[in-house]
Order: sequence, then C-alpha cells, then structure tokens
Amino acid sequence: MADGPPSPDRPPSLHALPSGPGDTELIARSVAEPEQFAALFDRHAAAVHRYLGRRVGELADDLLSETFLIAFRRRTAYRPERVDVRPWLLGIATNLVHAHARAERRRYRALARTGADPAAAHASDDVHARVDAEALRGPLAAALAGLAGRDRDVLLLFAWGQLGYEEIAVALDVPIGTVRSRLNRARRQTRAVLAPAYTSEVDR
Amino acid sequence: MNEITLLREAGPQAPPLTAAARSAARAALLAEIEASDSGRRRFRLPSPKARWRIGLAVTTAAAAWTAAVVVGAPDEPGPPPTGVTLVAFEPPVFPLSVVPVPPGLTPTFSADPGGILQARYGTGDGGSSFGIQVSPEEPEQYDVTGTDEVTIGDREAELVSGVDLVCGGPGPECVDVERPYVHLVVQWRDDLWVQVSGQGRYDDGDRLVALARALVDEPQPVPLQVHLAPAGWSVLAYKDDRILTLVDDAYEQQTLNVHLPLPEDVIPADRLLSELMGPVGPVIDVTVHDRPAHLVQIGGGPLDSGWFLQAQFPDGTTFVVQAPAAFTQDEVIRFAGEVTHSR
Repeated sequence: MADGPPSPDRPPSLHALPSGPGDTELIARSVAEPEQFAALFDRHAAAVHRYLGRRVGELADDLLSETFLIAFRRRTAYRPERVDVRPWLLGIATNLVHAHARAERRRYRALARTGADPAAAHASDDVHARVDAEALRGPLAAALAGLAGRDRDVLLLFAWGQLGYEEIAVALDVPIGTVRSRLNRARRQTRAVLAPAYTSEVDR
Repeated sequence: MNEITLLREAGPQAPPLTAAARSAARAALLAEIEASDSGRRRFRLPSPKARWRIGLAVTTAAAAWTAAVVVGAPDEPGPPPTGVTLVAFEPPVFPLSVVPVPPGLTPTFSADPGGILQARYGTGDGGSSFGIQVSPEEPEQYDVTGTDEVTIGDREAELVSGVDLVCGGPGPECVDVERPYVHLVVQWRDDLWVQVSGQGRYDDGDRLVALARALVDEPQPVPLQVHLAPAGWSVLAYKDDRILTLVDDAYEQQTLNVHLPLPEDVIPADRLLSELMGPVGPVIDVTVHDRPAHLVQIGGGPLDSGWFLQAQFPDGTTFVVQAPAAFTQDEVIRFAGEVTHSR
C-alpha cells in the first residue's frame, strides 16, 4: 500500500527513506534468504517498541522480540498489496498486547491514580508544557483504562501508531467502517472523561 | 488541542529502548533466522507433485477464488475510477464437501488472497471441530517431528506431526506452551492441495484420515453471497461468513465491503451520523429487500469517501455495505438488493 497524501483520515507521518532495498523487497528476499529479514528489525524496532512501551511499559522489551519472531515466521503470508510493513508489524504487536490486557489496564490505572509516569519525567523541556501534560496524564490514563479493548486498539493505532483508517483495518482484520465507528466511540468516551480536566487546562 | 494530540503529547510514555533490550531482541531474531536457515525451525515437505500429478483441469469454482490474487499496488496511485458498471456476479464456492458431515457440525468459510480457502466444521460453542484448508500451493508445515504415509482413495497423503507454540499458562500472562499437532496433507489435483486438521476429538490421525476419505468434489456455496458486482472486480477476501471484500482489479486501492456486524456493532439509525466519521449530508431512508434501510454518504480523501449502508436481510439480520464514491446512490441500493445470506 503506497503512502497517499495526508488527509483528515490519514494523519501525516514522516518516514525515513530507507537506504537499499525497500521493506517489501526485503520480505520477499527473506523467503529464500532469511538473513535479509534482520534489516527490517533495524528499521522498525524503535517504532514498534515505542508503540508497545506506551501500552505495556517495561513489558515492551519482551513483546518487541515476540513481534519480530512472529513476523519472521509469517513472512510468507505478508501481502504487500494490502498493507505496508510498519502497520503489519504494529498489527502483530497489538495482538500480542491482547494477551497482556490486564497488565496494560493495571498500568493505566496506576498512572491514573498517581499521574506520575517515570518514562515521561523529562519528555519536554518546556516547563509550561510539562505542567499541562502532567495535569492531563492521570485523566488520560483513566480514559484509556475505561475503553473497551478493541476500541482502545483502534484509538492507539491511530494516535500512537500514526496509522490511517485503512491501515488499521488491515492490521486488525476488520472492515474500515468498523474502524471508523470504534475510533469515533473511543474518541467520544475519551473526551467525556477528559472534559473536566481539559477544560480547566484550556481555561487556565 | 484535541484528544488525539493530547494522547500523543500527554499520554503514557514508553520507557526507552535500551541497548541491552534491543540487542537481546535482535539476537533472538537472528537465532530464529539461523535456525530457519539450517532447517531446524521450519520443515517443508518434499514436493510429491511429480508422483501425484493426475492432470485434472482447474474447476471454475477454484478459479473464482484464486482470481482474487491482486498485483502489487503502484507507489503513487492515480485518481480512483469515477464510475462502475454493475454486472451479474457468480458467487464463490468452496470446491469440496465432506460427506457425510459429522452430526452437529456445520461449516464456516474463509478465504484469503492467494487462493487459500478454509472450511471449519464446528458446533459454534467451542467444542471439537475440524478444518479443511485448500490452496493452490503445497501448505508449509512448521516444527515437524514426523510424517506417516497414508492413502486417501487413489491419492497418497501424509500425516504430518509437529509441535506448535500457543499462548497458554495458568495466569493472565501469555506463556508459550508447546502443543503437539497432526495435519493430513494431500495433493487433490495439480493445482489444489488439501490440509485437514482438527481440535478436540478430531485432533487425531485416524479421524483425520477418515475425514479426508469423506471428501468429495462437490462445491459448496458460501452463506454470504453477492450476485451483482462491478465489472472487473473480484473477491479479495471472505471471512467467517461475515465479511466479503471485493477489489477493483484495475485499481486495488478501491474495495467494496459487505459485513454482517455483531449485534453490539449495529448502529441505531438515530445515531448513525454521530457514530460514523465523516458523514456528508443526512441519513437517507431507502428500501432494501423490502425493508427500511439507511444510507449515509461519507466524505474524506479520494480513497476514503463513499457510502455506508445499513440494511437488513428478509430474516431481519443486519448487514452493512461500504461502497466507494465511484458508486452512485442507486448503484449502492441495487448492489445491496443482490446480497444474500443463507444462515
């Protein structure tokens, strides 16, 4: 699937231009030459870990490894005409997160209670921005903890994975209309939880 | 700042990917690659095509599915086609049947690009089940521990035993658990391979052989069917008798979806505009299968805009059609009127 122009349904994203063969070509080559697959890890490990880490914290280290092992085993089933490699990897990672749904919710609830996220302690050098973010971190985590798992998947693939509707549909193997309705529901519920805290931050 | 931006900027952050964690994950992958390369992880059955070549012609049924193979997408797609021509469409079929079907079991069908079709016979309550998978290529087997030769009619077949890794363990965490498996693999004809596998009481070599011997060349229609489709389109995927996706062979970014939503995903008519993203204009009341239906035009980019139709079959089951903007309103309704569901 080729990148199209940014649109309201497709958040703009920046992709580093790969040097050497493209992702699709690497996967095709890796069927006969498995060692070619290692280059995909070098290109995408950081992005996959960042997505996993925001969902499951330290467990991301293990799931990163599992994601690439599963991707390697399934490389012959990869369909380049349906989805790019990064959304494909994030789909695998999302399925792995399902097995750790309790750990994910526990993480969000803990953040909701304390509002303290050690990983975000130095995320911004801007004092005002950091204060704003810290004020909303707890309510955001509470909102995520309250979402149905499948709605959360769509929301976080959109927000953190930076995937478009069609990419999410393929990654999760659901129709694009289902993606739209789940995302809309997740956004509405998140807004509802955030409303008091967000309004006070905006009004400040 | 909307909630998406907030999530990105103020949502939970990821811990850093340490050099040690990165190295460990990469080393695990390299070990897998090395093992694969030396044949320890993966074992491919020796191709018996020469022995089993029986020279039967490709059936129309198999061709109907395998026609869904699509070519690679161009890097920069041009504008999508601005119109379609609806023509009669031959619904896909599964090429084989089990005769007789074990009591209490009914099949559910799925298909993926590449001509891989599956019929899973089960009770719907998670009990014992078995699956028949057909494919134009010999199916790959993983972590094989042994093979036994058997005969299915005048065909030679193999019972392949191996070990699968599944998610298990007593707690909520996913723990890799080794689970033995056995598959029966037989080349049915030149371009058709069959793999039979089972769960519960059907996870047994003798039962798989008996099931394979009950296979006959009787195509089965799938329950979710369309009888009208745009000229030049074909089946891209079919899943669990609930989702059918057609693709424009000349412009594969453009698809047409028919979907039977789960009851909790059915959107009440009065909430359609608020539940759907990008609605353009009001909910249009239309009639499909002589029942009230609701049509919404969806805006967005050139590849996202189109139509959302929620309608019902004569038995009251809700189905959804998502059509691209190349369809006119009348064409969406005509198409939906030719969608049927037999279960």
